[in-house]
Amino acid sequence: MQDKAEAQPILSMNSVEVLYDNVMLAIKGVSVQVPKGEMIALLGSNGAGKSTTLKAISGLLKAERGRISRGEIKFEGEDITDALAQNRVQKGICHVIEGRRVFEHLSPDENLTAAAPTGMSRSTLNAEKEKIYAYFPRLAERRNSQAGYLSGGEQQMLAIGRALVTQPKLLMLDEPSLGLAPFLVAEIFGILQKINKEEGMSVLLVEQNALAALEIVSEGYLIENGRVVMNGTAEALKSNSDIQEFYLGGGEGTDFHNVKHYSRRKRWLS
Amino acid sequence: MDWIFLSELAINGALTGLLYSLFAIGLVLIYKASSVPNLAQGGLTMLGAYVVVALSHDAGLPLWLAIPLAALFMFALGFGIERVALRRLAGRPVVMILMLTLGLDIFLRGTTLAIWGGTSRSMELGVSYDPLFLGDIFISRIHLVGAAVAIGLFVAFMLFFRSRTGIKLRAIADDYTASWSVGISVERGVGLSWALASVVAVAAGVIWGEVQGVDQSLSLLLLKGLTVAVLGGLDSILGAVIAGIILGIIENVGADFIDPLVGGGSRELIVAAVLILTVMIRPHGLFGRHDIERV
Ligand SMILES: Nc1ncnc2c1ncn2[C@@H]1O[C@H](COP(=O)(O)OP(=O)(O)OP(=O)(O)O)[C@@H](O)[C@H]1O
Ligand SMILES: [Mg+2]
Repeated sequence: MQDKAEAQPILSMNSVEVLYDNVMLAIKGVSVQVPKGEMIALLGSNGAGKSTTLKAISGLLKAERGRISRGEIKFEGEDITDALAQNRVQKGICHVIEGRRVFEHLSPDENLTAAAPTGMSRSTLNAEKEKIYAYFPRLAERRNSQAGYLSGGEQQMLAIGRALVTQPKLLMLDEPSLGLAPFLVAEIFGILQKINKEEGMSVLLVEQNALAALEIVSEGYLIENGRVVMNGTAEALKSNSDIQEFYLGGGEGTDFHNVKHYSRRKRWLS
Repeated sequence: MDWIFLSELAINGALTGLLYSLFAIGLVLIYKASSVPNLAQGGLTMLGAYVVVALSHDAGLPLWLAIPLAALFMFALGFGIERVALRRLAGRPVVMILMLTLGLDIFLRGTTLAIWGGTSRSMELGVSYDPLFLGDIFISRIHLVGAAVAIGLFVAFMLFFRSRTGIKLRAIADDYTASWSVGISVERGVGLSWALASVVAVAAGVIWGEVQGVDQSLSLLLLKGLTVAVLGGLDSILGAVIAGIILGIIENVGADFIDPLVGGGSRELIVAAVLILTVMIRPHGLFGRHDIERV
């Protein structure tokens, strides 16, 4: 029993191809496994196909006229390749989309209410909200102001909080660190780690900030040009010389020096 | 200056304005839940009126039964419109959806013309035509009834948009993709807003059908309704009510001053001026939400 649960990942994505507008092949056979209760990172540079991978899992491709043209996605052993986005949320997959898209004209409190599953009782919702406000005390202070005027960090916290209201078993985040000061990234990643530990929630984290991401995940995948080109434990990735050279860049993220090397690398990868 | 006459103009103007609000609330409902101005609201209002007349006069049902049945029918129709037509357009540019609603309006006008012909029919609500006297000022009873209905709907929808379902609809208007991402059924939400707007169309159709008769010209209420909705801010129910009152007063009092100068017909000009000036000077209207600058 125990062995079986360990053997079966909560999410398994096998050789998935995604087409946009029936012509643009954005990912070309990506396979990713998320073991239950683990935090996994998906790394890669601009246009590699990270967001597309998450959208394939959450069912948000349809909104952008994209579709899965090959491969399959299983969540808790069940095939969800063609399921509606709302059904996937019900099953326990929630996707914090790129760019902190909070409901700007609603208050943070209303943002959380909007995400409540139909049928969640008022007392459960309130308990859920209090839990989220406890994780993110800054949100609690501003719960009744307009979400569009929150700071970038607060909006990212709200976007995560809003996803937590759906009580996900697998939380997927698309570049939560983008545009945030390092101390805020550390704060948010710390909270993610805490939620992962306390609630056993699995996390799939998309990041360009490989350095920060590899500190909190157990395993990572590197995507280039729509393909997984590397997969290993966080430790192994951190000590890999390519990753060090092209993604960790001496701890500073990208500078022009690295970008130049990067384009050279891209050629021999594709 | 005849103050009694002026206040009579103002009060009746405000009441007529609330009837515009009654219409505009339907527009705002759809805008609030999908950020699309519904150009078929006039057609829906006309259809609502026809269905009530068909159920009451033609089928012989009493009004207290005919009106709720018509509301039920229109509620289902609103959902149907989303299911059959709008769903295919999700994610397309708003202008395509706008054209679709325009097509729907023309379709509804054609359909009612084919089924019921073009001669005007009467609603016969049984509201007395005798004016009501408020001191020296006289007031039309049907306008008073319509204004009360408008205010009733206003209160109901203010409460609705604070409920969980109402908040989800507002979330949908803000961001479709983000709504999908947390499991909100955008399709069902948009369908619900159309269903509710279609019910509002029945209310507006009944009152306006009583005021000016039931025929295809009811669909032209769209022009004044849009003006009120835009002045109010398109997504504000309170705005629709206040803007209705303002437009009604300006139109009634203004026409009384200007008509003698230009020899009549200034009402349309006043409405047009209000619409154009609002869009030019204050595109968010009196109470509309502002687009938040992202930095
Ligand atoms: N809606 C779309 N229609 C057509 N092509 C798309 C669409 N979205 C993404 N693509 C293309 O698919 C490829 C992968 O894009 P994706 O957004 O998944 O990359 P990413 O790894 O998330 O990049 P970034 O780090 O810049 O967010 C890119 O070449 C992109 O141009
Ligand atoms: Mg991306």
